[in-house]
Amino acid sequence: MRTFTVLIQKELRESWRSFKFLWMPLLFIFLGISDPIMNYYMEDILNAVGNLPEGFTMEIPEYTPADILLATTGQFQSIGLIVLVIIAAGMINRERQNGMALFLYVRPISFTALFFSKWVVINILAVLSVILGYGASMYYTAILYGTVKPLLFIQMVASYCVWIFFATTIALMFSAMFNTVLSITFTVIVLPIGALIQSLIGQFWNISPWKLADYSVQLLTQSDNEYYFKTLLLTLLFTVVFIIIGVLFTRKNASMIKI
Amino acid sequence: MITVQHLTKSFGRQTVVSDVSFTLGDGSFTALIGPNGAGKTTILSMLAGLLKPTKGTVNLEGIKDIRKEIGFLPQYPQFYPWLTGLEFIEMTAKLSGISARDTRKEAVKVLEFVGLKDVMHKKTAQYSGGMKQRLGIAQAIVHKPKLLLLDEPVASLDPVGRREIMNLLKQLQLESTILYSTHILNDAEEMTDQLLFLKKGQVVEKGSLNEIREKFDVPRIRIQFSKIEEAIGYASQSKWSTEVEGMVVYIHITDHFPTMQQVMEELSNSPFTVLKIERNRLTLEEIFMKVVSP
Repeated sequence: MRTFTVLIQKELRESWRSFKFLWMPLLFIFLGISDPIMNYYMEDILNAVGNLPEGFTMEIPEYTPADILLATTGQFQSIGLIVLVIIAAGMINRERQNGMALFLYVRPISFTALFFSKWVVINILAVLSVILGYGASMYYTAILYGTVKPLLFIQMVASYCVWIFFATTIALMFSAMFNTVLSITFTVIVLPIGALIQSLIGQFWNISPWKLADYSVQLLTQSDNEYYFKTLLLTLLFTVVFIIIGVLFTRKNASMIKI
Repeated sequence: MITVQHLTKSFGRQTVVSDVSFTLGDGSFTALIGPNGAGKTTILSMLAGLLKPTKGTVNLEGIKDIRKEIGFLPQYPQFYPWLTGLEFIEMTAKLSGISARDTRKEAVKVLEFVGLKDVMHKKTAQYSGGMKQRLGIAQAIVHKPKLLLLDEPVASLDPVGRREIMNLLKQLQLESTILYSTHILNDAEEMTDQLLFLKKGQVVEKGSLNEIREKFDVPRIRIQFSKIEEAIGYASQSKWSTEVEGMVVYIHITDHFPTMQQVMEELSNSPFTVLKIERNRLTLEEIFMKVVSP
């Protein structure tokens, strides 16, 4: 436990001093506000640019607040998530490869504590970013389009965070298993490309962690999704399994450290 | 007392360390000497618990998790650049089990000992090579380990830094048993109780410097002339068995014969100019070459 608090402090210092606690939330806030504002002013923007052909009319659909939050989720999934998991995919192996972790590994530390210190800090960063990002999106959506029920909004954000835990856990697991090049490659294949496959042919199945992000937003509009809880439970289950694998590999690969 | 028995490490088919056994007495200062690739770092890593031995055991007074009692300095220490020296030592002290109350006190004490107190609030990224080496020593000794393992502690330093570090180590010997690897033989010659010569992963020779010297020393007299021709000229007419190396002639001594006086007598009757004459002992470097050469 003592090891854990010391290591948490180390990880927090690293993230803080490399300004991750500044630019990561800023990225999510930027992604969060871009959709409500862009969509709302799209007509004005097009008019201002002004090179549309004479007589051209465009039907700009009437968006509901849920539509905008869905678009924001899409932004998080495509850009924010990639940045987040790439950071996570280098957390364990990078300091192993450059030999910095040696001063930890020669001490009587528990590798469970080592893994969890990184897990906790990357997820503090992730949850903070997601809350601020959705908060910013909701703020402009509320001003420009209208509100949703606060409880449902909180539920949606919490549910999305479970998906983020799943994603960062996979990245950390790969980080424990492989060197940085491989871990980032696998992470980028498994998470964003998994999400892409999901959006292309995802209609053939109903329960998958990759569906959790979409289901989270659907919580706002439909309350009777029979697959939601199964998906949530499956995602949590996978997360726990990947944490266990991650801890085992952190210990096993400690000897890969550069001496 | 540390007992190492039959320590063996293989990576796939390649055996890097094979059947190494030795003991280190309390407070002893032991040097691991060997050419590059002899397995010095691998042995130290196994003792530090970073690598699992393929075979063999390391026993430190029967303690189960010996990581608690070990301080380790790698050859090229890499520090978290975003931590200050003090923060780094405090972190390592806590991880080694020093209580939160004593951490600050112990960290400052050890930083003062290695001479980094003035820069302890600077980020380690700003430290020079010598400062990093001293910070590396500080983290290795902050928890007062029973066994201190140092991998080439002075190899990357200039002569001044080397002397400073060796003096630090000499002071540490009072509290810890020290095992260090080196290829800087002058230092080993000066302050080492025991030498372990490694060759291709095996201990080929061990003992105190004097013991090893006795074994390998070929008693001889070294005469330096001013010209190569003179050296050759003298060697050809001398009545003892000689060996010429440039301007130097070695006379081998067998059964205390010839004596220095006899040689000097012979030289005084010869027309050659002698620059220097001495009873010659093998340097550690020459012993090293003898021990490790195939």
